[in-house]
Parts: sequence; C-alpha cells; structure tokens
Amino acid sequence: MNFINENLLTILILLPVFGAVLTLGHQMFWKQEGQLKWLTLGFTLVNFAVSLLLFSGKAGESGFMFEKNVPWITAINTNYHVGLDGLSFWLVILTTFIMPIAVLSTWHAVEKKATAFYIFLLLLESAMIGVFVSLDLLVFYLFFEASLIPMFFLIGVWGGENRIYAAVKFFIFTALGSLLMLVGIISLYYIYADQTGLGGTFDLVAMLTALKQGQMSFAGPMAGTASLLFLAFALAFSIKVPLFPFHTWLPDAHTEAPTAGSVILAAVLLKMGTYGLMRFNFALFPDQSREWAWLFIALAVVGIIYGALVAMVQPDVKRLVAYSSVAHMGFVVLGMFSFTETGMQGAVYQMLNHGVSTGALFLLVGFIYERRHTRAIADFGGLANVMPLYATIFVITAMSSVGLPLLNGFVGEFLIMVGMFKSTVLPITATTNWNYIATMIAGTGVIFAAVYLLWMIQRVFFGKVTNEKNKSLVDLSWREIGLIVPLIVLMVYMGVYPKPFLARTQEPVKAIEARVLPVEGVVKSQSDCRCDNEVKEKH
Amino acid sequence: MNTLFLSQLADPDVNVRAVMPEMIVAAAGVIVMLYDCFFPKQRNVTGAISIIGLIASGVVLATMWGGGFPETSWGGMVAHDNLRLGFSFVFLFVSAMTVLISTIWVERENVPVGEYHALLLFATFGMMMMSAGNDLVVIFLGLETLSIATYVMAGLRKGDLRSNESAMKYFILGSFASAFLLYGMALVYGATGSTGLTAIAEKLTNPAFPVQFPALLLVGGAMMIIGFGFKIAMAPFHVWTPDVYEGAPTPITGFMAAGPKAAAFASFLRVFVLGLPLVAGMQAAEYLHSSWISVVSVLAILTMIVGNVAAIMQNNVKRMLAYSSIAHAGYALVGFVGAGLATNNESRDAAIAAVAFYLLTYAVTNLGAFTVVTLLAEKNDRRTEFEDYNGIGFRSPLLSFSLSLFMLSLLGLPLTAGFIGKVLVFRPALEAGNTLVTIMVVAAVVNTAISAYYYLRMIVVMFFKERASDWRAPQLSTAMAIALIISIVGVLYLGVFGDGLIQRFSVSPRTVGIVQADR
Repeated sequence: MNFINENLLTILILLPVFGAVLTLGHQMFWKQEGQLKWLTLGFTLVNFAVSLLLFSGKAGESGFMFEKNVPWITAINTNYHVGLDGLSFWLVILTTFIMPIAVLSTWHAVEKKATAFYIFLLLLESAMIGVFVSLDLLVFYLFFEASLIPMFFLIGVWGGENRIYAAVKFFIFTALGSLLMLVGIISLYYIYADQTGLGGTFDLVAMLTALKQGQMSFAGPMAGTASLLFLAFALAFSIKVPLFPFHTWLPDAHTEAPTAGSVILAAVLLKMGTYGLMRFNFALFPDQSREWAWLFIALAVVGIIYGALVAMVQPDVKRLVAYSSVAHMGFVVLGMFSFTETGMQGAVYQMLNHGVSTGALFLLVGFIYERRHTRAIADFGGLANVMPLYATIFVITAMSSVGLPLLNGFVGEFLIMVGMFKSTVLPITATTNWNYIATMIAGTGVIFAAVYLLWMIQRVFFGKVTNEKNKSLVDLSWREIGLIVPLIVLMVYMGVYPKPFLARTQEPVKAIEARVLPVEGVVKSQSDCRCDNEVKEKH
Repeated sequence: MNTLFLSQLADPDVNVRAVMPEMIVAAAGVIVMLYDCFFPKQRNVTGAISIIGLIASGVVLATMWGGGFPETSWGGMVAHDNLRLGFSFVFLFVSAMTVLISTIWVERENVPVGEYHALLLFATFGMMMMSAGNDLVVIFLGLETLSIATYVMAGLRKGDLRSNESAMKYFILGSFASAFLLYGMALVYGATGSTGLTAIAEKLTNPAFPVQFPALLLVGGAMMIIGFGFKIAMAPFHVWTPDVYEGAPTPITGFMAAGPKAAAFASFLRVFVLGLPLVAGMQAAEYLHSSWISVVSVLAILTMIVGNVAAIMQNNVKRMLAYSSIAHAGYALVGFVGAGLATNNESRDAAIAAVAFYLLTYAVTNLGAFTVVTLLAEKNDRRTEFEDYNGIGFRSPLLSFSLSLFMLSLLGLPLTAGFIGKVLVFRPALEAGNTLVTIMVVAAVVNTAISAYYYLRMIVVMFFKERASDWRAPQLSTAMAIALIISIVGVLYLGVFGDGLIQRFSVSPRTVGIVQADR
C-alpha cells in the first residue's frame, strides 16, 4: 500500500501503457480483435478506480501530493518530477473518468484496425495524465508533445472525409507553439543557473522557490526577456486552448475526429492549454501575466463573441459544437486573466464543466451520426417524436452548456463574470472601468450561446419529421444510456453542489492571486468574504 | 631549422597505440581486399570481416576512453580527446550499420561485394583520421581518403544511369570543394607558418608572436568554410546533395548522410572551434572569431530554411531525406556555433559532445529510416516515391510503425533520440545569450515545425491513405532485422535512457586546445 501511495501518479501514467502493450500482445497471439475493447475498457476502468485513491492524498512540504522526484537525464539536470495539487487534481480525475466513456462510445463504431485504435487511446491517456502531473518543465514538454501523436493517428486513420488535412493541421499548429515553448524552457534553465548560481534546472518547484526567495527575478533588465518567455509559453498554450485567432485547427480537428477523439479532445486536450497557462505562465511570470492580461482578455472576449456567432451559422451539428468550444474556452481564459479568486475558481470550474458538457454533446452527436451517417442539421427535424429519450438528454446537456441555473455551466460562467467584474487587472479610469466593459461584452456571449444551441435544437428535434429516413430511428440503447447518464448526473451535481470541487482549487488559485495582483490586507479579506458568500448563495 | 628536423628524426614521436582503432579498420579493409582477390564473391565472409574489424576497433576505442594517453601524439598530429573519441564512435556505428543494411542490396543488385566492403572500411578509416587529425594536412588526407572511397561507392551500380550521374556530380563538385579547402589551408599556413592546429591556436593567442597577415588568415578561413560547408551540405554549398543522394544506391545514401557528414563536422569543429579560438585583447583573433561565428550562424539559418522548404516539395523519399539531411546539418550547426561561443572549457567540451551526440542520434534514426527504405525499394531503387508507400501502414505494421518512429525522431519529438539531440544542441547556443544566436535557435524551432509537414506526410501516406494496387510486404532478412532492431532500440534508448551515453561522451578526456581567456 505504501508503495502504491508513493508511486500513485506513476502508476496512473504507466497503467495505460501497460494496457497498450497487453492489447498488442493479445492481438498478436490470440488474434481476437473483438475482445480488445473489453481489455481497453477494463484498463481505463481500473485506471479510474486507481485515480480515486488520489482523494486520500495529503500535501507534502512543497504543497504537492504524491510527489515523486527521480533523476532522469543528469547531464542536463532534468528529473522525472511529478506531483499533484488542487489545480491538477480534478483534471486528472476528469481524464480517467472520461476515458472509459470514450472507449464505450466507440463500441461498434471502430470497424477497421481496432488494435491500433485502442492502443492509441490508451497511450493518449498516459500522455494526458503525464501533462497534468509533471513538475519538471522538460518532462511536461515531453508529455505535452507526446499527446499529439496518438491524437494525430486517431484523427488521421479513423476520421471523416477530410481527415488528413485536419490531422496535419492539428499537429503542425500545436507543434509550432510548443517548440517555441521549448526555447523558452531551455532559456529558463540558463536564467536560473545565471541568477542563482546553483546550476541550471528544469524543475518548476525549484524555480518557484527561487522566485519566491528573490534569488531569481524577472525585474529590471530581465523584464524584456521575461516578456518574450511569457509570450513563448502563452503562445503554446493559446494554440492549445484554442484562443482566437489560433482556433482554426479546432473545428477541423473536431469535425473530422471519430467520436471518441472529439470527446477526449474537448474534455481533456483543450484543458492542457488553460492548465498550462495557470501552472506555468502565472506561476513563473506573475508580473508579465498582469502586464499582458489586456491582450488575453481582449482575445478571450473576441473569441466568445466570434465563436458564438460562427456557431450560429454552422450547418453541421458537430462543427457547431466545435465552435461553441471556442466560445466556452474563451470564458475560461477570461476568468483566469481576471486574477481574482472568484474568477479563477470559476475558470477552473468551467474547465471541468466544459469537459463534461461538451464531451457529452460530442457523444450525443456521435450517437446520431452512427445511426444516420450525417450530421447536417438540414437532414434532421422532429427527432423528438421518434427518439424522445435522446431528445431529452440532448436538451439537458445543451442547457448545461448554455448555463442554465442548477446545472454546472451556470456556476462556472457566473463565477467567471463576477470575478472579471471585480477585477482590477484592466485599467480603471474616472469614466470607464474596462473590467466592467469586458464582462458585459462577454455576458452577451451567454445569450448567443442560448441562441445557437436552442435554434439548433429547434431545427433538429422539434416540428414534424420531414425526412423519411428519420422515421425508423431507434432510441438510445442501454450502452448509450449507460455512458451518458454518469455525465448527466455530474452536470446536475456540479450545478447544485460545487463546494467539494471548489474547495480543492481554492488554495492554488489564492496563491496565484496573491502573486499576480497583490492587494492590501483589508481589501483582500473583504473580497475573500464576499466571495465565500457568493459560493454559499449558490449552494 | 635543419637541426630541429634531425632531432625529430632521431626521436620520432611514435605512439602506435594511439592510432590503434584507425589501424584496425585499415587492416580490416586490406584483408577484405586480399580475401576478395583469392575467393571472390563471398558476400557473407567479407561482410563478417568488416563487421568484426569495426567491432574490434570499437572495443579498442572504448578502452582508450578512460585516458592514459598523451593529449597529442605523432608530433602533435593526432589528438586524443573528447572530439575524436565521440565522433569515432559515431563513424564505427554508421559503418557497421551500413554493412548490415547493404546485405540485401548487394544481393539484389549483384555488385562487386569485396570492393564495396573494402571501400567502406577505407572510408571509415578516412573519417576516423578526420576526427583524430590535429593537423591540417592529416585532416586533408583523411578527407581525401574518405571522399575518393565515397565517390566510387556512389557509382557502384555501374549499369544505372542515375548512379553514374550521382558519382560524376559528386566527384567533380567534391574535387572542386577539396581544392577550396586545400587552398584555405595553404593560406592559413602562410599566415601562421604552421599546419598544426595547436601551433596555430598558440600563434593566434600569443601576443608575443602576432599574426603577420590577418587578411590571409581571414581568406583562408573563408575558403575552409566553403570546403567543409560542401561536405556537410551547408547552404549555399548544398546543391549537389539531392541529386547525389537520389542517384546513389540507397544504403550508400544512408551512409553518406550519416557518416561523411559527421566526419566533416568533426574536422570543422576542430579547425574552427579549437584552431581559431577567441582571445581577449588579440585583435586579429577576435576579428577572425567574430567573422566566422557570424558567417556560420547566418549560413546555418539559411541551411535550415533551404533544407526544410525544399524537402516539403519532394515527391521522392530519398530526395526528401536528402533535403532533411541538409536541414539537420543546420541544426547541428546551431550546436557548433554554441561551441564556438563557449566561454570556458567545460561548456565548450559539453557543446562539442552535444554535437557529436546529435550526429549519433541522427545517424541512428536516419540509418533506421534507410533500412526500411532499402527494404521497400526493390531492384534498382524503383519504389522510392511517396506514392509507393500509400496504404502500406496496416499491411506491414512492423516496417511502417518503425519508419514512423524514425520520422518522429527526425522531427525531434520527445521520447525519441532526436528530441534529446535537439535539446542538447540548442542548449549551448542559448547559453551564449547572444541575439544572433537566439534568432538562430528560434529559426531552428520554426523550421522544426515546418519539417513536421514532410515527416508527417510519410505517416500520412502509409497510414491514412488507401492503396489501389496490390502490395506484398518484403521479406525481412536476418541482417536487416538486426539493423532494424538496433535502430529502433537505439532511437528509444537514446530518447529515454540516453543519460548514460551522454555522460560517456562528456567524461572523455578534455579537448585538446588552448585554455581560453575569460571574456
């Protein structure tokens, strides 16, 4: 038990790899492709079960749970350093939670080359967990890049018509950003070595300690360099989020990817970007984060409106959901860059919400695609008459995405907007408070979200069945109900009782706020208690 | 003058043990040639002799790693240092792999196999001399030994027009470049009065003996850059590469991309980084140093751009790999400039070790790729277009997944050898913290992203496209399987557990050279 506790994160990373090897071995020796999905499902479920052990964790000295630090390449002083804190906690759980659902969603959909499909899914899980737990910059980069390849194959081999274009675009966009981040990472190594005189390191915890103790600082002559480094990191993450105008890869990738791919992409891969911004940009470059916040807030607001407007005119349901992702992730970025506890709590919460709601939407689109092999809104109409259960679930999910109170989306968006409203990160002049303006524009995005989703629902589900082919559609099967119900339950739970989620993220978020926007004690405590009240009100 | 000469004759600085690895390789070459005279056409025997010779040389090299040897021997002509040992290891590895890869090819094409193996060993000998030579003349001799052997190997498939064209082009342009190199060496000799690199560096750094003709030195340096630039395929001296690589037999192409290029890098490093160091207060040396650093930096950026942009447009896999090898020379040059800018011996040695390690990772990956390409090529290298790879992915998963792995390693994705190599060569350049060099590193990563397009294209055609015609997976012979396994394991091992080897590369004896003054 002790061994498991000490190496829990490593086990979480390696278990899927082990599963992939076993899948390959099983196929090589028994040639029973039909059994592989059971094997994969088993491994993802076991991994989910193991990840539940994370709840027992206690933070160590450095504030991380389950920390593990072993030398990897001593020549460049990089260590396999993993650990978990409130920021990454729910994201890891979300990953292990969504994986079995993704596997189940492809139960009948993957006809060709199933072995490779399941192997890539499992490898993807490893890489995603690795991204969220690594505390060494080079190891983080390693997992960040490693997650590209399985996704590249998932889109490229099992995707739709235009899959090659989408896969290559996805890869090159993300790779370009992350390579510039690599330059930033190596530069940090030397800046650390230069300023502390301790020799270079890629260790995030060591860097943060040095920053806190003043051994390393980006003030004065280093400010220019630090801005460049900040932007190098931010570019990599902005592409991943994706922030407007780097979003163009997303609709293609989402539309062409198989259902499982879209679900994972929406639920987990996009979170790597926002997580990276919080974990690395805010922690390493607090001053630069504040200075550049205007840019990111502006892009986020543009993304919210733009994503919503473009989503409105999409003829394809999946593309519509993809563009809604752009808008939702804009909200997350907005909340993060408010640098208030409320806003950042909301952002982290909205990351989870988006994973659950948009993941569910992609699942639902996948269900109908499996039946009709089309996703065009024009091909449907009146589905509620033939598939009442499906329609009900779809509407609930869409409502959660829109932000209906008592469902999860509301909590996140509300906290984000309150946080942004209270923020002081944008200039406040005698006549205008730009923070208010940003919030107000973003707020209209919520209305747009209601418009495009409800309009789509109206066209797809209500009215008369116009298309002959839709008359014989069967409602959801037990497997489909089984994999959508946990998500629905979660939507309601997260909408009604967000406390356990927010409790874990509170501490790291407060730490960021204290470093980026330091305010005097009195004001701070006031804002704290106001925030607590808000959370209570929502309970 | 006379007496000095006589005294050297009386007490020659002979240290046979110091050149043992080179001698073993040369002896193996001679044995192969003789054996082939008496028992011709015994493919396996000459191949085995070559492999044994290369391994024996490698073992001797490994025992030399620890030390116990003078820094230089043979009157300062042969160095025993980090640079030599690291690179020699790369050469031996490349040659041994080439012997393995070419087994299928010598059978298919019916080439005179004894000559082929002997030439390969002589080429290896030349390469090893290039990394060991601490004297311009020795370096030149090594280079010519290597070049002449490679010219012949490129044209081994006598019946094929493209192979002949390849050999002819390589020969004519190569001789031209050698002439430049030799002229440059002569001018440097004229300016410093010595061909020994240690002596040249001393001359440059000693204020008591100022260099008489700095202009000569500058012109000489420029000409040597052209000469070496040709060999490492640095833009704009790269134009021969695609034609030669495409026409040459596939295993030879793999060899040329990995071996001779690394050898030229070894000499290039030794002549410029160690022979023309930067010394504070010495105007001529400073001027010379800053000139070559800026020239090489700019050419490195150009090389990366030319290599990657041209590679995108290729439809032939061998041509694509040729342009990719140009691009990789550009990445290695980033480390090269880093070594040139290092301010102390430790970081300079680390940078040199990084370049050697980078070329090792490139050799492992590239030879792996060429193994697969050779296997799929069929007689006369007919199947080397991208469309010949359409849809073979799931029909021959072993070959196509390994080829994908090599492509990802060439791209420099984490967990592969290419990633560690790239990180290592970018490091010293960023350590220098100079603006031009930082731009160079940024250019390198942007180029890496560009290169993703054509490396991924390989994966795209293999896995994402469908195949219209019939295709049968080629038979994997034992030697090819060994070569493939070595490269797969190598790529993953260097990518994940490369630590031990990097340590090995950097704990070797300190590089021969002048201790640089602090700046």
